[in-house]
Amino acid sequence: MTVDIEPLLGKARTDIGAAPDARALEQLRVDLLGKKGRVTELLKQLGGMAPEARKAFGERVNLAKDELARLIDARRRALTDAELSRQLAAEAIDVTLPGRGETVGALHPITRTIERIERIFAEMGFASVAGPEIEDDFHNFGALNIPENHPARSTMDTFYVQNGRKLLRTHTSPVQVRTMERVVREKRTPPIRIIVPGRVYRRDQIDRTHSPMFHQIEGLYVAERVTLGDLKYDLMSFLSRFFERAVEVRFRPSYFPFVEPGADVHVRWSGGRWLEILGCGMVHPNEFKAVGLDPERYTGYAFGMGVERLAMLRHDIGDLRLFFNNDLRFLAQFRP
Amino acid sequence: MKVSIGWIREWARVRASDAQLAERLTLAGIECEAEPHRTDLRDVVVGLIRDVQPHPQADRLRVCTVDAGGKQPLTIVCGAANARAGMKAPVALPGAALPDGTAIKQAALRGVESAGMLCSAKELGLAEKSEGLLELDADAKVGVPVAKHLALDDAILVLELTPNRGDCLSVLGLARELAALYGLTLTGPAPRAPTVASTKKYAIRIDATRDCPHYAGRAIEGIDPRVRTPDWLRERLRRSGLRAIHPVVDVTNYVMLELGQPLHAFDCAQLHGAIRVRRAKAGEALALLNEQTVELTPADLLIADDRGALALAGVMGGAKSGVTAQTTEIFIESACFAPERVAATGRRLRLPSDALYRFERGVDPTLQRAALERASELIVAICGGRAGPVTEAGARRPKPVTVRLRRARLDQLLGHAIPDRDVEALLKRLGIGMKRIARAGWHATVPGHRYDLRLEVDLIEEVARMYGYDRIPARPYAAPLTPAPVPERQPAQLLRERLAARGYFEAITYSFVDAALQRQLAPDVTPVPLDNPLADTMTQMRATLWSGLIPAWQYNQQRQQKRVRLFEAGVCFGEGAGAVAEQERVALIAAGPAAPEQWGVPARPVDFFDVKADLEALFAGVGGLRFEAAQHPALHPGRSARIVRDGAPAGWLGALHPRLVQALDLAEAPILAEVEMSALQGLALPHPAEPPEFPSSRRDLALVLRDEVPAADLLAQARGVGGPLLRAAGVFDVYRGAGLPNGFKSVALSLIFQDNSRTLTDEEVDAAVQAVARRLQEAFGATIRGESSGGVDQGGTGRSAV
Repeated sequence: MTVDIEPLLGKARTDIGAAPDARALEQLRVDLLGKKGRVTELLKQLGGMAPEARKAFGERVNLAKDELARLIDARRRALTDAELSRQLAAEAIDVTLPGRGETVGALHPITRTIERIERIFAEMGFASVAGPEIEDDFHNFGALNIPENHPARSTMDTFYVQNGRKLLRTHTSPVQVRTMERVVREKRTPPIRIIVPGRVYRRDQIDRTHSPMFHQIEGLYVAERVTLGDLKYDLMSFLSRFFERAVEVRFRPSYFPFVEPGADVHVRWSGGRWLEILGCGMVHPNEFKAVGLDPERYTGYAFGMGVERLAMLRHDIGDLRLFFNNDLRFLAQFRP
Repeated sequence: MKVSIGWIREWARVRASDAQLAERLTLAGIECEAEPHRTDLRDVVVGLIRDVQPHPQADRLRVCTVDAGGKQPLTIVCGAANARAGMKAPVALPGAALPDGTAIKQAALRGVESAGMLCSAKELGLAEKSEGLLELDADAKVGVPVAKHLALDDAILVLELTPNRGDCLSVLGLARELAALYGLTLTGPAPRAPTVASTKKYAIRIDATRDCPHYAGRAIEGIDPRVRTPDWLRERLRRSGLRAIHPVVDVTNYVMLELGQPLHAFDCAQLHGAIRVRRAKAGEALALLNEQTVELTPADLLIADDRGALALAGVMGGAKSGVTAQTTEIFIESACFAPERVAATGRRLRLPSDALYRFERGVDPTLQRAALERASELIVAICGGRAGPVTEAGARRPKPVTVRLRRARLDQLLGHAIPDRDVEALLKRLGIGMKRIARAGWHATVPGHRYDLRLEVDLIEEVARMYGYDRIPARPYAAPLTPAPVPERQPAQLLRERLAARGYFEAITYSFVDAALQRQLAPDVTPVPLDNPLADTMTQMRATLWSGLIPAWQYNQQRQQKRVRLFEAGVCFGEGAGAVAEQERVALIAAGPAAPEQWGVPARPVDFFDVKADLEALFAGVGGLRFEAAQHPALHPGRSARIVRDGAPAGWLGALHPRLVQALDLAEAPILAEVEMSALQGLALPHPAEPPEFPSSRRDLALVLRDEVPAADLLAQARGVGGPLLRAAGVFDVYRGAGLPNGFKSVALSLIFQDNSRTLTDEEVDAAVQAVARRLQEAFGATIRGESSGGVDQGGTGRSAV
């Protein structure tokens, strides 16, 4: 006796392929392959068969069982995948919408420039120090070899406070004096290697290139054998590092009462122009005397540079007033 | 100073071009530029006006017959009032193009043919403004190009001199410097003393010898004040920016430009008795040439006669004693005044003058006689007259200044050995006498004009300058490093970066602020006013950074920036007991929406707690911080907090007072904060404990209590009683309104318990929570509204609604 299982099998294949969801598929599995399933039931007919036929039929049924189990698994995977796809599609977002939350602010370009200069000099062993913005005549002028009524004083038109008893410092150079005084007072000795960033004040009307307040960085190196050659090297190396290229530098004799020999430092800029970048020179012996250091034993160099000027060159800024308007549309460009 | 380069070249025969010459001077520390001088006056010639007739058709025009060197005289219509027969003036012939672009053509002017144009100085580009025709020398050659007659083929040297190089404020000084730089011989000056043809003389007495080391003078009788200063002299004055005024004054100016010696001419008719150089008496007054009358002090130096003050020495002449168009007898002063004396007067009286400019920088004390002779020579040549004998007082030959220059010191400062031979040669070129000291260096004798060379280091600079800074080799960095300990973080840098990361932009505002605004923001601080402010809105030093930040916010608001976050770190100023104090602070201003405009988040205005979070971020890592309710005159009394660190006041946080919002006409109340920078110091160095391995338990506690109980007090009490197992306590909800009695609020606390060595039992945690609840009931009369167990605090599960 043979039982034709093909019709059953055929229908089962169709049903599995058409099962709409996981639950229907499970039902189908129970119907077919469960303990009382139709395929399982077929095996019960084995008892009435001749050994030969029984073997052949048994194999066929088992093959059918395996095939259906595979089909059910495949269908289940397909249904799960489809379900996930539907879920993913439903969860999709517009990734081009902007992110939420706070946006980033920025440091002022003057601060950036000061920090950059500080970093460069820190690597050369210069400590950054500060000093008062309201100064006395001695520290701002007298100790810096700028005597009473010297024409150099009229070139730095000065803001005064307290009926002329004090003044707003016209340069950061008084901190040179204060630093050397402290070394002497504390009975220490040079080397002294400092830079001094800070605000300075001169009575200039505000325009594209002038401001009654601006920032300077002073430098001072005092030791037993500091020479003009050291000054040249250190500033040339600073300028190349600051501008991130090997800049052409020239030193031109100039006059600042507190240095001698004194120089202006120029950098070759686009179009071959020489731009004045900073002033410098060897510390004047009168300044050493004013603070109580022996000018025969110690020599030193000093320099002073305008932070705004360096920032304007580095960032191609054409108007000094932009630094002090604090326009967010300007400041926001310094986020990077 | 401006001066003709052609003039300088007469004494220093430099081959280099004008631009090269200026560059060479600049590189030697004499900063200057060569400005080309207009020379393209083609077809403009010297003309002689032979006849002037009225114009038949126009009252204001005249018809001139002009000899311009051609075969036929020309008819030229002219509108200038000073046109007269016999006058010589520039004629632009047809075909000429004037500097302003006017092309000259033969043309009819109101019916009369005009064969060219008679020109003014302005029309020739020789003056900014001028009246009438440019009159030329009576002996100017007719038909000669005006450019040739006036020697216009020239350039102007425009100098920005440093104050130490007063010796270069003259043609002589610049020629001398150029000769030294190019290694040339100076070919001038060679003044010829005029014959002494009169016996008229004045006695000179110097009372203040220190203020006036040398004074020379002489009278010249019988001058003709009506003569015209010749064109060559006018032109040289003009190129230095000086106008011809009077032949005698023009000569004194000319000699000042030429030799650097300021001179003054007195009208002898106004002099009585001897010339005296003395200090002013207190209260003495003098009417000056500029029509200003000044009151003098004993610090001022005067030229006086028997009757009183005549002139302010070295600064300005007097109104009464100067030369006029009627003057026929003059006394010329050529004196040396001490720089500091003249500078003091000039500064006090704010009287800028060419003489002062030179004297305060130092005038050669050996120059007076030569300058006097030169001026006399020119005056006699131009105005006629008879020169009297020269009278001198003071040191005729001042002791020369000698400075020692040590070989070793030179090398020590420059770091480069320049051979002895070169050192001597370079300094000798500057007129410095060099006497060698055996092996050690030199004794250098400084010429009188070099006021700036008094110390050894001054000579070292001269050696370096003449040798060339570019030839002194840079010495690679060889200093021994002495590395200092590196602090963990720099608070100033850290705070800026933190604020920027939280959306703030750093501002830099002026340190001087508007007094009216500041009075409202910091009424309790004694401000530091400026003695000499630059503008009405910048009259005092800022006592609070808000004085700058509020205007900066307004500036942005006026430019459609609604959301503003600014901070500034800087110094504030105040006065106490007569002394100025400076305090470093950081301040914040926040206005507009709490968050940048964005989708999916409802917009709300920034408030106190937004900025408080920013401050807490600033202070992260700084212990001992507290915010306590307190009143500040500029802040909303119910929305302001004093910031306290370790018991000491450290700053303020709050909303601007509504009264000020109205008074300052602001659109909204910004949130402001200001903190002492010192309070941000002392960042703790982290020494972290290992995170515990056993789970924590969270319990939430909902309380109802009176509105005014501060959250900080609640948490402090909870922490006090919670013991070591209570690891954290926080507020996670505050509610007022429906369901609560008026004046009460509901506060939800989170309490997290943990032990490092074991898992806590529910009973232990429950007991601890009960203790906290009891304490809060006792201390604040709080009612417990609910308590819930969070169980193991992972992912914030188990929070109950309060």
